[in-house]
Amino acid sequence: MKISEICNSLELKVYWMPDEDVDVKGAVVGDLLSFVMGNAPAGCLWVTIQNHLNVAAVAVLKEIPLVILASGREPSSELISRCESENIALASTSLDAYTICGKLYDLGIRNEERI
Amino acid sequence: MSAREPLIVQREVKPLDFLAAGETASEFKELLKSLGIPTDICRRASIVTYEAEMNTVIHGGGGVMSLRLEDDAIIIVAEDQGPGIADLEKAMQEGYSTAPDFVREMGFGAGMGLPNIKKYSDKLEIDTRVGEGTTLRAYIFIKGQREE
Ligand SMILES: Nc1ncnc2c1ncn2[C@@H]1O[C@H](COP(=O)(O)OP(=O)(O)OP(=O)(O)O)[C@@H](O)[C@H]1O
Ligand SMILES: [Mg+2]
Repeated sequence: MKISEICNSLELKVYWMPDEDVDVKGAVVGDLLSFVMGNAPAGCLWVTIQNHLNVAAVAVLKEIPLVILASGREPSSELISRCESENIALASTSLDAYTICGKLYDLGIRNEERI
Repeated sequence: MSAREPLIVQREVKPLDFLAAGETASEFKELLKSLGIPTDICRRASIVTYEAEMNTVIHGGGGVMSLRLEDDAIIIVAEDQGPGIADLEKAMQEGYSTAPDFVREMGFGAGMGLPNIKKYSDKLEIDTRVGEGTTLRAYIFIKGQREE
């Protein structure tokens, strides 16, 4: 599913949207950066309550195309500008991580089974 | 074809500089990509660099990161003159962390950095001495050979 479709359907507040509207492959949720670094499937979206610059650093290296900040977290200005320069879509929702993940699942976003 | 001179790039890493975090990792990744190294290897090298860089920033009191590209291997070295690691075996375990609270609030301190480095590299060497510092050397073999 395309990033723009996800942001529209879930009425996310969008801070940055790249020109190129890519597909996301699955999702990861978590606030421990090294956990996401070690376990996120490449190309998935990421739901987190961390809102600082290092989120972008992890997203770049894992090729995460969309970061969704949950529980109404606002991104720091450094995070917004790094997402802009790295072309990572950045959005937020007032919903908590559990609820937004449920809605993502309802939209049909699934992780491929990993062996 | 004769062996090429290895390419070496060095970057200084400042202590607790979270705003520069991940820059070395991104830079190394772009450099490797531009040299035609396979994407999967670039990814692994950048994750290893990031985790080593963050450990240097958070635990090591700053230091130097270097990337060395040889014919058959990428070698990532993180060197610091920080406090060293008292119990390396423990430090290698998932979940072990001495990260201070203010970095834990940022999402560091899962105790997964070193395990990630081990997972994404083919060979890992850590020389550490309490009170003197730590040198981490991670190898990623380019032609798929793995050393056990
Ligand atoms: N360069 C270093 N100098 C001193 N101690 C270190 C260094 N690197 C790692 N350590 C020690 O090893 C522990 C485990 O490191 P590891 O990277 O696995 O986890 P972490 O950095 O605490 O958390 P995470 O990487 O998940 O954010 C650290 O908490 C620290 O005590
Ligand atoms: Mg670490």
